[in-house]
Amino acid sequence: MISPAPIYLDYAATTPLDSRVADRLRDVQSSAYFNPASNHIAGRQSARVVAEAATSLGALINVDPASIIWTSGATESNNLAILGAAKQRAHCGRHLVTMRTEHKAVVDVFRALEKTGFEVTWLSPGPEGQLDPETFEAALRDDTQLVSIMKINNETGVVQDIEAIGRICRARNILFHVDAAQAVGKVPVDVSALQVDMMSMTAHKFYGPKGIGALCVANGTALEPQMFGGGQQKRMRPGTLPVDLIAGLGTAATVAAQCIDDDLCKLVMLKDRLWSGIRGIDGVRLNGPEQGGYPGILNVSVEDIEGESLLLALEPLCVATGSACNSQSQEPSYVLRALGLSDQEAQSAIRFSFGRQTTVEDIDFAISAYRSAVSKLRSLAPGIAA
Amino acid sequence: MIGEPYNDVVREHFAHPGHAGDVPDGAIGYFEDQGLRIRLSAEVAAGVLNRLRFRAWGCPHVLAACEEFCRRYEGRPATDLEEFETARIMEDLAVPVEKTGRILVLEDTVRSLGQAIQDLTDTPRE
Repeated sequence: MISPAPIYLDYAATTPLDSRVADRLRDVQSSAYFNPASNHIAGRQSARVVAEAATSLGALINVDPASIIWTSGATESNNLAILGAAKQRAHCGRHLVTMRTEHKAVVDVFRALEKTGFEVTWLSPGPEGQLDPETFEAALRDDTQLVSIMKINNETGVVQDIEAIGRICRARNILFHVDAAQAVGKVPVDVSALQVDMMSMTAHKFYGPKGIGALCVANGTALEPQMFGGGQQKRMRPGTLPVDLIAGLGTAATVAAQCIDDDLCKLVMLKDRLWSGIRGIDGVRLNGPEQGGYPGILNVSVEDIEGESLLLALEPLCVATGSACNSQSQEPSYVLRALGLSDQEAQSAIRFSFGRQTTVEDIDFAISAYRSAVSKLRSLAPGIAA
Repeated sequence: MIGEPYNDVVREHFAHPGHAGDVPDGAIGYFEDQGLRIRLSAEVAAGVLNRLRFRAWGCPHVLAACEEFCRRYEGRPATDLEEFETARIMEDLAVPVEKTGRILVLEDTVRSLGQAIQDLTDTPRE
């Protein structure tokens, strides 16, 4: 059976490699493949490549390049930040705060900490997904030592008020970590202005290579290492640095800085077009805020439609039912359940996410495919009672 | 679910469910469980399943299993419904084992249809 060409609307799962990034990867792989920790001319050449990438990323998110720890991606960054900080500061208290709607790469880390004696407060969002700063502040205690809240939700595109949360944390001397995997390179991020102590990111969400990410750690923030085996990166994350991937991330950051405004304008237009095209379908609901969400993600549910069948009926459209990281599970999305959706509503949810290479034609195809799929599946379904 | 989740039979049945719909004034079997709903209708003459149609709310494997059931049993004696088993359909459609419960909903619907046919024809069953 010949498969039709896919139409990719799953940019929240991963993005295509930018051609400039691909060029840079190839160049570094052939010309600067040396170990940047080696104390010779070639090694220093690779070390300069790493330093340039750090400068590019630092400029994109307004941090000192020296504060960047290279990791394999946001999952590792989240693990290092949360485990490393919680254990390092256990003497400050064993109470931690996060949200029910965080990515699994945060949720599962907090669950692991709960098993070792830490107490976690799991905050619920409002009906549109946002965390109310007053609700947040009320959850804090004298022994709260760490908070982790994501900037942009990977399933719904909900944007949290990181600045307000950061202000509250700073006033109470509580460490604040932000999972910004869906934000860095896609929306303007100013770490210094946000009063964030640690921020996780990954290159493949903003047109960079897979397998490379970063954790920015504010000066003076101590972390307990989670890996051992060398002295690289101030012993916080040992291991030989992948110079090519780091260079690719740096180039992706440079490109993002140039394109971010144009990208956002385009995404706003595409999201409006898509939502306008499907909002009239009977029983469709938007999962997330009508205004103010990240414009690269549109999450919708529809009454009385089975999600897995909907996904197949939408082929060759490449979209997600839950987050891609969770799509091996048939369980309804815990993020959408936390927004108050029923199991059926959550199970029927489709996340459209688009980016730099998405065209108006792609969106129009998606509208037509979605309408057609819903109509077909409804025509197949029996009534509630025979 | 890693790799290809549906075989070609499932994809073909899902894309072309030729037996979707209703048999007007036919015998009806209905069952719902685990959030799934399946309705089978049949036209029976002289003890033969002349026409079978289905409606279903479920995943692609469930929809394909319904279509496969209709294709297999149309034209056969209604008494064959008593022999319906899920194992063969699960094998032919490569239904993952974790979806066994969903295919059992079809089995319950087939039983319901058999009972409805029996009630209509008032034929005692052994």
